This record gives sequence, structure tokens and C-alpha cells, in this order.
Amino acid sequence: MSAAELDYIKPELMACCGAREIRDGDLVIVGTGFPSVAANIAKYTHAPNARMMQESGVYDAQPKRPALSVGDPCLNPGAAFIGSLIDVMGMFLQGGKVDVGFLSGSQVDKYGNINTTVIGDYGNPKSRLPGSGGANPIGLLAKRVLIIALHDKRRLAERVDFITTPGYIDGPGARAKWGLPEDQGPEVIITNKAVLRFDKETKEAYLESYHPGNTVEEILENTPWDLKVAPDVHETPPPTAEELRAIREIIDPMRMITIYLKRGYV
Amino acid sequence: MSKVMTMKEAIERFVHDGDFLFIGGYICRTPFAAIHEIIRQGKKDLTITRSNAADDFDMLIGAGLVKRFIATFLSLGVYGLGRCFRRSLEKGIPHKIELEEYTNLSLPMMLMAGALGMPFIPVKDMVGSDLLNVKSFMGEDKYKVIVNPFDGTPTLVVPALKPDVAIIHVQQADEHGNAQVWGIEGDCKWGANAAEKVIVTCERIVSREIIGKDPSRTIVPDFRVVAVVEEPFGAHPGYTPGFYDVDFMFGSLYQQASNTEEGFRAFLEEWVYGVEDRTAYIQHYIEKFGYAQFRGLWADFDYSYPVSYAY
Repeated sequence: MSAAELDYIKPELMACCGAREIRDGDLVIVGTGFPSVAANIAKYTHAPNARMMQESGVYDAQPKRPALSVGDPCLNPGAAFIGSLIDVMGMFLQGGKVDVGFLSGSQVDKYGNINTTVIGDYGNPKSRLPGSGGANPIGLLAKRVLIIALHDKRRLAERVDFITTPGYIDGPGARAKWGLPEDQGPEVIITNKAVLRFDKETKEAYLESYHPGNTVEEILENTPWDLKVAPDVHETPPPTAEELRAIREIIDPMRMITIYLKRGYV
Repeated sequence: MSKVMTMKEAIERFVHDGDFLFIGGYICRTPFAAIHEIIRQGKKDLTITRSNAADDFDMLIGAGLVKRFIATFLSLGVYGLGRCFRRSLEKGIPHKIELEEYTNLSLPMMLMAGALGMPFIPVKDMVGSDLLNVKSFMGEDKYKVIVNPFDGTPTLVVPALKPDVAIIHVQQADEHGNAQVWGIEGDCKWGANAAEKVIVTCERIVSREIIGKDPSRTIVPDFRVVAVVEEPFGAHPGYTPGFYDVDFMFGSLYQQASNTEEGFRAFLEEWVYGVEDRTAYIQHYIEKFGYAQFRGLWADFDYSYPVSYAY
């Protein structure tokens, strides 16, 4: 690809950041949009043996267009397995078989707790959101959790209004109190400005890399907690020609990913 | 004895005010024709449940027929948040529903427990979340933490659910109610088998002999079923694998309409109260949007290799 073709949009970079977290052979439970694009980039580049499932009951779908929901008609023909919620959420996820879960949240905090239930008071909500769906079990039971969020002081929070999906709850040791393995949980928050990674000791998200065009100062200003900066903080590597080719030629030739520009992922 | 009847009769006879309903579907095979008939008949004070609810639940809530909702999620998917759901919880319009919230793991497990005749079931999700800190009409019975009798660890258990009536839409059924599906199932099988009575709506009624050609596809056997309704396009604007696609145009139309109370009421007038049954609904659709739009939703044929159960 020429230099001009290597121009990319922010949502493509964010999808690539997600893809780079996926290892060859991972079993990934995906939703629609970013998770699905990211997992497919991984599959068509460095992780050809990554396998995907949707919570609705589908394993190894072969969609001819990007799915618009986890129940999308295009997930049916060609799949290797279609069962029920009990099969995917029960047998595979609760059964401990899922390596990576990929979630987005209306509100995400420094311990990777996610709110998709309510903004404001639960009993008297300012804004009522959809609820958990599959997010809570995916966040608790997948071995590694990747989180997508918009980077501003409203979407990122010191503490979410409602923990729909626990991350590290209130810090070190909190997951163990609930009988959850300490070595599982959120790995990164991928935002439109940065990649925040969770510290293995403090369980707090810190700044690992800033996206090209964004600065550490700007990111600190737009993060509502005292964000720690990695000693080796660096620019996020831009998408490679191979990653962009996978997105544009195989995964999303209709460029549905551009919808995220309108949603503020710029 | 045949259980085939019209939707009007099935809802009149088997759905009552105050009932606890499981309504199957997962964008895939939503029993929309039955939802519209429930609204036409004004069945009220309903308790409704399903994992991942969508436009059909939003519509029942907006129509003011829902008292309680055992929920995991409600959204209009690509079209955004459920407008009637939000108006109910944020502003009490038309009234505030009572909401008990679980997840897409725990709720199907509760239905499975109901189907299996178990009193409760352990689940590994929800711990550490605020879902354990909010309780509505189920009160202290929303969940319990017990000691695992085998290893002494604290274990979350949730109660079995046993709906009065399940309504599911399937590809095909025979006149006795043997109901067959293919494609994304959601919590349909467990929800239906947990219920006291099952209403089956289907794209086509087939003979008992056809059911017997591929019996592994049957998710509800006839002895669980009280009514069979043949209702082609019964899941529109959702989809049925092998029959028709999601109608994105119509989904967006509902989202736009339901943005306001007035728009929502006008939508019900036009598409629910204003049509007598599903046939009239489809006729109105074709008159309004043209036959080409309707025909464009039909699925292609892409048959499987024939199965054989012979020995």
C-alpha cells in the first residue's frame, strides 16, 4: 500500500489495538462493531487460529457482511455450531472455555468496572441504559477482558454510577473475595485517544500509549482520575498495511466502521 | 386433536390479565404477531421475561400492559435505546414498570431450572456487581448466597422461573404442537419448557410425518402445547432463518415513531389497532411500501444436505 492508502480513521486504529490483544488460538466472545472487527483483524493477521462466538449461541460464524447484532441473520448460514444462550453463556463461558471477552461501556472507571445500566440514581434514573445482557458474565468469566470506551470525563469515571460488569471492583484482592480468579479480568481500556492498561499490582488503569495526534497532556486533562503514566509511554503504533487490508478488503468492504466517527470516535 | 386456531382465539383463551409470560425470540423469531394481538386485546398487568429484550418488549411497555419485567437488557439494537422502556423508568409514562434485573447467563439458567423442575440453580455471574444491590418485586428471593455443601465456598443461587404461558415463534410445527426451529435459539427452548402452557406460532404447519423426518429439531413436544397458530411473517420486523430477513427500514420506522409518545401512539394506531390480524398487517405493509419492498425481505434458498434417520 502507498503512504496515502495508509491513512486511517480512529476507529480502524482502535480496532487494531483490540486485535493486537488477541493471541493465536484464543476463543473470543464478540459482540458487534469493534469487537467483531478487532477479532477478525487478528484472525486475518497474526492469529489465524483465533475462534469467535456470539452469546446468542453461535460459534465460528461465516458472515458475508458485518453483523449488526449478536442475533443478526448473517450469523446463521455457515456457522459451525448454533445453540442457545445456555450453550454459549453456560457451557462455554461459565464452563471456563472463553479466553477473551470484548465489552464496551457507557461509563468505565479506573478499576475497569463498567456501567451499562443507569446514569444517575437507580430508582430515579437520569438516563436509563439497556442493562447487563451478556456483559456481566462475560466480564466476570472470560479470562481476559478488553474494554472500548470514549475518552472524556463523562464516559471515564473515578467510580461508575452502577457496576453492571465488575472489573477489579475496588482494587487489589476484591475479585478474590467473590471467589473469582485474581489473574483474570480487564486487560486494557482502548479509547479514541489512548490505550490504558491495568497494573497487575494496583489493578488501576494507567496510560500505556497515546494515539498518533493525541498527547499525554490532553489525555490527562480528559481523564477524571489521577492517571498514572507508564515510564515507557509511547505513541500507539499505527495500523499496518496488512491490518488495513484485512479491514477494508475482507472484513468490512462496505466501510460500516465509519459509523463510529459519528459516535464521537475521532 | 388439532390445536390449530387463530391468533385471536389463542390469545383470548390462553393469555389472561396478570399472567407471567415468557416471550421467545432473539431478533430471530420474535413472536411479533402475538405481541400485536396481546396489545389489541389489552391484556394487562403482565409480568414478562426473556433474555435480551428488544422492540417487542418496548412496545408492550409503551402500550401500558406490563406491570413487571424480569429483565437482562432492553435495547433496539442498531436503532439505539428502547424509547418506551426509558420513558417508563425515567418519567413514569405510561406508568413505571417494576424491574428485576439479571443477566444473559443467570436468566436462562433460571428458566432452565424451571424447566427441569429444580427449585434454584447456582450461577457464577453477578457477584461483585450492583445487580446484587438492587431488588424489586422479588425482594430477598431475587438471589441467595449459600454455602456449597461440597467444598464450603459461598455460592450464589437464583430461583427457578415458571411462567404461566410461553409464546414462541418457530419455523414449523404440526397441528398438535411439535415445534421445530433452526438458527439462533436464545433462551427459547428453556423458556418454553419452563412454562405451564405453550402457544406456538409458526411460519408453516407441516404434517406429523414431516416432523418425523428430522425430529432432532423439535424444541417443544406437542404435549406441552395448548395452541398452534400458522402466522407467516409472524416475526416481522424481526427475522426467521430460511424465511425472511430483518426489516431494517421498519425497525428504524419504529424507533423514529417511538421517540415521542404521540409518535408511538400513532404507530400503534396504524400497525396494531388499525389492522385486524397479521394478514391485514401484511396487506397494509404492501400497500404502503410496495410489493418489491416486501418481496425483498424473502430469504434465498440454500438447502442443507438432506438428513436421514433411517437404520
